[in-house]
Amino acid sequence: MITFDHVSKIYEPDIVGLEDVSVHIERGEFAFLVGHSGSGKSTFIRLLLKEFEPTEGTITVAGRNLQRMRRSTIPYHRRNIGCVFQDFKLLPNKNVAENVAYALRVTGQPGRVIRRKVPEILQLVGLGDKMYKMPDELSAGEQQRVSVARAFVNHPSLLVADEPTGNLDPDTSVGIMQLLYRINRAGTTVLMATHDREMVDKMRKRVIALKDGRVVRDEDKGLYR
Amino acid sequence: MKFRFFLSEAMNSLVRNWVMSVAAMVTILVSMFVLGLGLIIFFNFQDVISDLRNKLEIEVYIKSTASQEEIDALGDEIRAMPEVKRVYFVSKEEALERLRKSLKGNEDVLDALSGNPLPPSYEITLKDPAQIEEVASRFFDNPLVDNTPGSDPPDGVKYGGETSKRVLRVTTIFLIGGAGFVVLLVLASVLLVSNTIRLSIFARRREVEIMRLVGATNWFIRWPFVIEGVVTGIAGAAGATILVLLTNKFLVDKVIKNMTFLFSAGAVPVFKLTLFLILSGTLLGALGSALALRRFLKI
Ligand SMILES: Nc1ncnc2c1ncn2[C@@H]1O[C@H](COP(=O)(O)OP(=O)(O)OP(=O)(O)O)[C@@H](O)[C@H]1O
Ligand SMILES: [Mg+2]
Repeated sequence: MITFDHVSKIYEPDIVGLEDVSVHIERGEFAFLVGHSGSGKSTFIRLLLKEFEPTEGTITVAGRNLQRMRRSTIPYHRRNIGCVFQDFKLLPNKNVAENVAYALRVTGQPGRVIRRKVPEILQLVGLGDKMYKMPDELSAGEQQRVSVARAFVNHPSLLVADEPTGNLDPDTSVGIMQLLYRINRAGTTVLMATHDREMVDKMRKRVIALKDGRVVRDEDKGLYR
Repeated sequence: MKFRFFLSEAMNSLVRNWVMSVAAMVTILVSMFVLGLGLIIFFNFQDVISDLRNKLEIEVYIKSTASQEEIDALGDEIRAMPEVKRVYFVSKEEALERLRKSLKGNEDVLDALSGNPLPPSYEITLKDPAQIEEVASRFFDNPLVDNTPGSDPPDGVKYGGETSKRVLRVTTIFLIGGAGFVVLLVLASVLLVSNTIRLSIFARRREVEIMRLVGATNWFIRWPFVIEGVVTGIAGAAGATILVLLTNKFLVDKVIKNMTFLFSAGAVPVFKLTLFLILSGTLLGALGSALALRRFLKI
């Protein structure tokens, strides 16, 4: 699903984001990306989304080489990747249903499909009764569930989450984790960057540890350590 | 079906960001109003100037010894010149009649004259008054022209000489200056409007970034902004047009009517002006939005 082949990312002027990273993640896998602040987790995810280019190396996502991808096809690439962020990134002027619907709108889905799918997915994340609330009327955990719903409503083959529980209390975090777990069980590859030691240790999934931009550990059923 | 979505997106954000929308609308209104005023002034001056220029004419006086055939032949020759717009023949009798009118009340001085000493003449108006000297010079050596022997330039041909040159020069400067002034106004309004719109879009750059991350294409993001710009532009320009037309009416009623020797009431092409203002306002809004958005679509 994801292949990083000797990838480096140096920010201007000479800040190391990632250095010589080679990682392969299989379709259907669940992987944690762990490491201290500044170790390069977000850089890894932003490279996947082609927010910028690697300085060296090649990245392949779902069989497509990102370097060879034209700028105009980036939106289509991103529709295959659901993303969840620490700061939710909800559109502030749209209500819950409209936020989720936006991900369907961009793909040109007809209104009929949108009216069916949006309540369905919001039901799934437990927000069936908050469809018409604005984001600033929701708790942090609820906002994050909206963003998970938006990331998953297109049923992407890959879901990436950059510290999705970073702003949430432990109980709420468990709720989000369960959602991601279920999404993974349904066949979607999930990559999650996190600081959450307890969560990683409990899940016993693959752990890729970064330090100063390098992969220092990569083990199945790993611990945070 | 997609258009409906874009339209409702545009309307929603117009309402939700109403402070910014109003600011952009007022900016367009003000700049279109100033531009419209500039155009009114320009049109009026252009009118005065073309009046002045059209008053420039060549008078060719004809010797009393010339026969009717020679006079007619000269008339045909003049009419055949491509630069000539209009030719008018002033007979001896008409010349005397005109003199009598201009003397109003003192006609008796004419009684001292024996017979009619005034020569007949041709009055020539040109399509382009700038060619007046060139055309006039063609008659200098014509044997039919009633020159005082030895006069230089020949006094049988009158075309204003230095005066006409000065009128041409001054009016040309005025026209170029006026056009430059209008171009400056256009540039200023483009800058002003695009700056305001940039501010309003800058405030929403996070939204644009989110849309990109969710997989929206650039045009999917752009359309609502462009529609918003068009609506803002039309609203602003409509307001400006109303103000401009009111100002024009006031000018025509209060000023121009009392100065008909200088201005004419129909100098401003009202329909064209309206169309121009509305179209520029719309274009300004749409382009301003699309251009201001550009740098936030790079992610
Ligand atoms: N846009 C940028 N410009 C310059 N340097 C950057 C930029 N983004 C990240 N960096 C640097 O790259 C390194 C890796 O940053 P990154 O954001 O990937 O870390 P992270 O593991 O996500 O950290 P955190 O856990 O705090 O989110 C850091 O040293 C950071 O300062
Ligand atoms: Mg980070």
